[in-house]
Amino acid sequence: MRNIILAATIIFFNSCSEDFLDRKPTGTLTAETFFENEEHAILATNAIYSNFRSWEYCGLPYIGATDVISDDADKGSTENDGPYLKEVDDFFFDATNQTFSTIWKGHYQTISRANIAINRIPDIDMTASLKERLVGEAKFLRAFNYFRLVQWFGDIPLVTTQLTEDQFFTQKRNAKSEIYALIEQDLKDAIASLPEKSKYSINDLGRATKGAAKGILAKLYMVQKKYAEALVLCDEIIASGEYSLIPNYNQIFTRASEFGPESMFEIGAVALQASIAGSGASPYNMVQGVRGVPNLGWGFNRPSDDLIQNYEAGDPRRQATIIYVGEVLPDGLTIVQDNPEILNPRFNQKAWVPAHVGLQDNGPGNIRLLRYADIILLGAEAANELGQNSKALEYVNMTRKRARGTNNFILKDLTITDQAALRTAIRKERRSELAMEQLRWFDLQRWGIQSEVMTKIGKPFIANKHELFPLPQTEIDLSAGSLAQNPGY
Amino acid sequence: MRSLIQKFAAIFIIMFTLMSYLQAQHTVKGIIKALNNSEPLIGATVEEVGTTTGTITDIDGSYTLNISNPNGVLIVKYIGYEDTRIDVNGQNEINVNLAESSVLIDQIVVVGYGTQKKSDLTGAVSSLKGAELERVVTPNVEQALQGKIPGVYVSPASGQPGAGAVIRVRGTGTLNNSNPLYVIDGMITEDASSVNPQDVESIEVLKDASSAAIYGSRGANGVILITTKNGKKRQNAQLSFSTYYGQQEAVRQIDVLNGSQFAKAYNQLRGQNFYSQAFIDSIGEGTNWQSEVLRTAPIKNMQFGANGASDNISYNFSANYFDQDGILKNTSFERGTFRLNTEMKLKPWFTLGNNVSYSIQKEQLGPNVIAGAYRMPSVLPVTEDGEFTDPTFFGLALGNPAASQFYQSNNFKNSSILLGNMYGEISFLKNFKFRSNFGYNFRSNRERNFLPKYQVSASQLNNLDRLTVTYDDSDKNWIWEQTLNYYKEWTDHSIGVLVGYTAEERKSDNIFATRESFPGTIDEVIYLNSGIDTSATNGGIGSAEALTSFLFRTNYSYKEKYLFSTSLRVDKSSRFTPDNRTGYFPAASVGWNLGREPFIESLNTFDRLKVRMSYGILGNQALTNRYPTSAIINGNLGVVLGPNESLNQGSTQLSIANPKLKWEISNQIDLGLEAGFFNNRLDVEFDWYRRNTYDIIAAVPIPDFVGSATNPFVNTAEVLNTGVDLGVNWRESGTFDYSIGFNVSPIKNEVLALAQGREEIFDAFINGEPASNTIVGLPIGAYYGFKTAGVFQSADEIASSPILGGEKPGDLRYEDIDGNGLIDGEDRVYLGSPIPTLTYGINLGAAYKGLDMNIDFLGVIGNKVYNEKEANRFAVYNWEAHVADAWTAENPSTSEPRVTNGGHNYRVSDRFVQDGSFFRLRTVNLGYSFPASLLRRIKMESLRIFVSGTNLWTRQSFTGYSPEFPNSSSPFRVGFDNGAYPIAKSIQFGLETKF
Repeated sequence: MRNIILAATIIFFNSCSEDFLDRKPTGTLTAETFFENEEHAILATNAIYSNFRSWEYCGLPYIGATDVISDDADKGSTENDGPYLKEVDDFFFDATNQTFSTIWKGHYQTISRANIAINRIPDIDMTASLKERLVGEAKFLRAFNYFRLVQWFGDIPLVTTQLTEDQFFTQKRNAKSEIYALIEQDLKDAIASLPEKSKYSINDLGRATKGAAKGILAKLYMVQKKYAEALVLCDEIIASGEYSLIPNYNQIFTRASEFGPESMFEIGAVALQASIAGSGASPYNMVQGVRGVPNLGWGFNRPSDDLIQNYEAGDPRRQATIIYVGEVLPDGLTIVQDNPEILNPRFNQKAWVPAHVGLQDNGPGNIRLLRYADIILLGAEAANELGQNSKALEYVNMTRKRARGTNNFILKDLTITDQAALRTAIRKERRSELAMEQLRWFDLQRWGIQSEVMTKIGKPFIANKHELFPLPQTEIDLSAGSLAQNPGY
Repeated sequence: MRSLIQKFAAIFIIMFTLMSYLQAQHTVKGIIKALNNSEPLIGATVEEVGTTTGTITDIDGSYTLNISNPNGVLIVKYIGYEDTRIDVNGQNEINVNLAESSVLIDQIVVVGYGTQKKSDLTGAVSSLKGAELERVVTPNVEQALQGKIPGVYVSPASGQPGAGAVIRVRGTGTLNNSNPLYVIDGMITEDASSVNPQDVESIEVLKDASSAAIYGSRGANGVILITTKNGKKRQNAQLSFSTYYGQQEAVRQIDVLNGSQFAKAYNQLRGQNFYSQAFIDSIGEGTNWQSEVLRTAPIKNMQFGANGASDNISYNFSANYFDQDGILKNTSFERGTFRLNTEMKLKPWFTLGNNVSYSIQKEQLGPNVIAGAYRMPSVLPVTEDGEFTDPTFFGLALGNPAASQFYQSNNFKNSSILLGNMYGEISFLKNFKFRSNFGYNFRSNRERNFLPKYQVSASQLNNLDRLTVTYDDSDKNWIWEQTLNYYKEWTDHSIGVLVGYTAEERKSDNIFATRESFPGTIDEVIYLNSGIDTSATNGGIGSAEALTSFLFRTNYSYKEKYLFSTSLRVDKSSRFTPDNRTGYFPAASVGWNLGREPFIESLNTFDRLKVRMSYGILGNQALTNRYPTSAIINGNLGVVLGPNESLNQGSTQLSIANPKLKWEISNQIDLGLEAGFFNNRLDVEFDWYRRNTYDIIAAVPIPDFVGSATNPFVNTAEVLNTGVDLGVNWRESGTFDYSIGFNVSPIKNEVLALAQGREEIFDAFINGEPASNTIVGLPIGAYYGFKTAGVFQSADEIASSPILGGEKPGDLRYEDIDGNGLIDGEDRVYLGSPIPTLTYGINLGAAYKGLDMNIDFLGVIGNKVYNEKEANRFAVYNWEAHVADAWTAENPSTSEPRVTNGGHNYRVSDRFVQDGSFFRLRTVNLGYSFPASLLRRIKMESLRIFVSGTNLWTRQSFTGYSPEFPNSSSPFRVGFDNGAYPIAKSIQFGLETKF
């Protein structure tokens, strides 16, 4: 008897094979089982957009690297909150400042998602036109990210595939020109494959469009001082009839104008119930929200005194851009109280959203990344650089006209004919129109006047250093010598 | 009357049987009792020396023996008592009182997959009997181990009722999971929090490589074997009942500024008289927020047990009810446990047994609001006009902790836990035993969290009633082990061989669902169905892993003096790819019982003396991630499209995986010495070890431009722990029993190498600044920051000193370590380690007549703690009491900076690093046992009443509740006090009785 039991047991356990040890992650696809059908292609493309709402992408560090560092805004919030942002505001930062490592990470993670889609969707057996569009979207998004990175950091590693372990620590910085070439090619591909905004169904608004790709390419050409190429694109966009200026400036950043006629590229956000918080929302509104009473956020990104002075007398865009203490908020319900912990508080009205179900850390406001007014003013700038005075005036007066509304006593049409004077006027107009939209630092850089402007407002800007951000120290450390730091850091 | 007949019959039968075998010989009879309490010893053996003649004592301790030589010698033996020799000298009645043995020389020790005599051990194994655990009032076996075993550092995971403990056997061995492996009656688990301490027979800690190597891939951080009680052989049924009741309160309170002090400090912060002198005078103490959220809480325990054994069946049944309210309001833990352990010898060659426990638990998980209570300005009242005070202090969000406690407490977790094993054992061919053991551990948690709609302030609010229900089968684990044992003894040799094969699977899965907006807030209404269906959300996930192993071990002993042991375990884990799946974990050890050598015996100094040495290789794979080599596709990466704001799902691969991952390896060498002196009253056990862990599995940073959301796990880094475990015990038995035990364990932890040749890993970020840095050559997770050098007294002093920028008089001055005239990142230095350099325990016991007393102390030396709750300031919070002495122009303090709220003086520095050493009176237990003679009349076998105290006194310099809060599973973030649930001190009364 006992021998039979013994034998039976031994036979049983020997039958356990290697299968028992092959365990795959549950409730999820793996890299081996993904990219098999059309649905996977859509999911992978959607995932790229998703990262635009992450902290690493649009949180406090991003605000620091765009508005706070520029002359548009000060750090804001209470004296001691966000010391790393204070360093950015004061040009007292070094390569260890988390502002730079965070945006670097957020943008490269988005690029990684785009790379996966670009490299794997072509092999999927699916509808050809959809395939072409999805790859076009991914290329647009990749280009958008590289464009920001190259403006912030200069030469950077050019990553277009999923890197393997032996490449992690040996990657070098690629020259700016190589990054530009990739951006240009990606955007040209996107222009070729993406539909115009009007060709998308209403439920697909927010996806990359032909117009958006042209707009970003125009910006790239402006950076490269290829004014003629830029102007062609701006003209095409303006002539396309796809976009128009919203009549009332202070309605641009409202819920009703999301994905509206002026919107060329924006990231949708929605505050869903807190139990599934975060999946549709972003921290963008929270970090800039009014701090104190009403308590809507952290109160960073304080519009600067210098910005206020930029507005022409009576320009309604100042009120539409800045929330002051004592102001009734656009919801008509709440008055902003003074907060004794903040010196002379002011807040960014373009990031304002009313109290919502998602609480503070679940902002429902769409993040506007490219609007028609930006392209019109870019066109004005390009035309002026090319000596096309009348076209430049025509374009620049479009935004002034809209801003003035029915009040003919303010923001009169410009009539300047001197190229240099008009250049100054267009820049001033651009600042008033696009203030606090995280564009100013890039403009100053494109115009090559960062040092001049920042020094003028008393910042300890060091020329030939602070034009570019330092590469994150962790990246330098990890590379063990293969990544060089930017000069001066 | 009936029992008397039975006893009589038993004696008669024994006598008759013996007499029929041995005729016309000398008859001796008598009673064997215990010396200390005169209780009869049942089942003691009485033998005539030099013959095979012997018998055992019956229920009354009586024996009758026919011996061949009226002038011979009897030897009386009983487990746990000294062997006693008596010259017969022709006597017919010999009564013997046995003394308890000072050291259980031939104590049987549980080791992996078997048992061994203590004297035969070649590895470092510490053993603790259940009785020593019962004196500590805790529902948790892990916490009961505190201060008891050299080399085993135990700290409570938190003061939350039902919380487990974090245990480090011989230091922190790795950069990932350093928890030991738990084996409960053969079932391998990750924690022992569900085991009722009163069910425990013994706990063995396998500390060195040779003893733990049989657990191979999971033995690297030590193994804790827990054996539960079974009925003792040759014992009639015994019923037992015990209970205690006690009261607990927080060990202490943190000194913070009272109302008037806060108002003054706030005026200093603002530089103006925000609070008038009249207000300061009238507010006085203000609100003591800690008292508002803490309470005195009861603790109750009841245990009923029945155990016994016949020749073929032994059993132990127990039922336990434990109920503990937390010292933070609205937290509690309630548990009922049933256990049935049986063993049946069904055939001479076949034994069947099981150990099963089933527990049901209910926990109330109110929020831990300690940090909030600590921070809340004491000028604010708890309520105003019957409503919770809106503490939105000058526009700054800070929740009212009393309100959080009130609104967030309808949160209950009900768990049922089935834990146990079944086994069958076949003996064959005389020396072989085959055992098949099936162990299982099912744990199901049902959590129900209802958050009502409320609003205290603009930031402390909940817009909609919300119910979240989670069903979490956190453990669905089984293990099946087949082992074959061979054991044979010759005159001078003995050999034991074990081979085995085991397979195990561990699974978990969960689902959750939520709904919002309920028609009422009474418990009967709050079910998912009554919430609005359009608000419904749900989710669920599962995971699984598997392990198969081959085991082999041999033990050989020559003349019981020279001991050799080798073992090998081969593990295959599902966590790794087939190429790297298999790990080999060998160990070898030798021991020499010097005490049995004539040249040592002739010294007459040592009662026993053994030296031993072991070396072995162990593994670790205990990552939280069960699939570290798989690249998974993450979901829930949606894009919001269109004016209708519809969320379109997205997913993609976010992280790079490392399919090349393999086992983490640890090798350990151990030199040990065990000695007994003064008739074994003094017992010394000493071990020196060197434990080196390499190929440590860690998610080491890769460059961010790779775009991976998380860092892949790689094999990297090397950590060394060297130390000494010393245990010294003195035990005197007699009418006055007493014992003094002392254990001490110095340890040194050192990082030998980090990934990719890196020299440091920063972690534990506070306000964006790292507060810990793991540096090659220093302990893991050491604190790192500026060194303070007094307080700036004047603007001139600032102008002529190295500064960070922006300092004002009264600000802290940081040391310019590198002397470059600037304070910068290069001036941050090592500020101490959270790992103690020495841990120790003192255990005192005494018994006289019916009185008994046990006192345990424990302490640690050399660790630092970081007062993170003080360093973190996002708003105007209360300050700790020392801020009352802040620098002002009138009070030019040289140590306490001016009142600030974050910023310069709150940079990571030694200002927040405090000494974590402490010395604690862990338990005091005083009992009285009523005399057996008295109890026999009421058919009671024993009755003991006791009073005990836990954590009654602690000496510490740390300003928080307790310096023990290894609240993080990451070794890079240990010792940061961010408002941990405080531990309690308690006093309880109880009784224990047996029938």
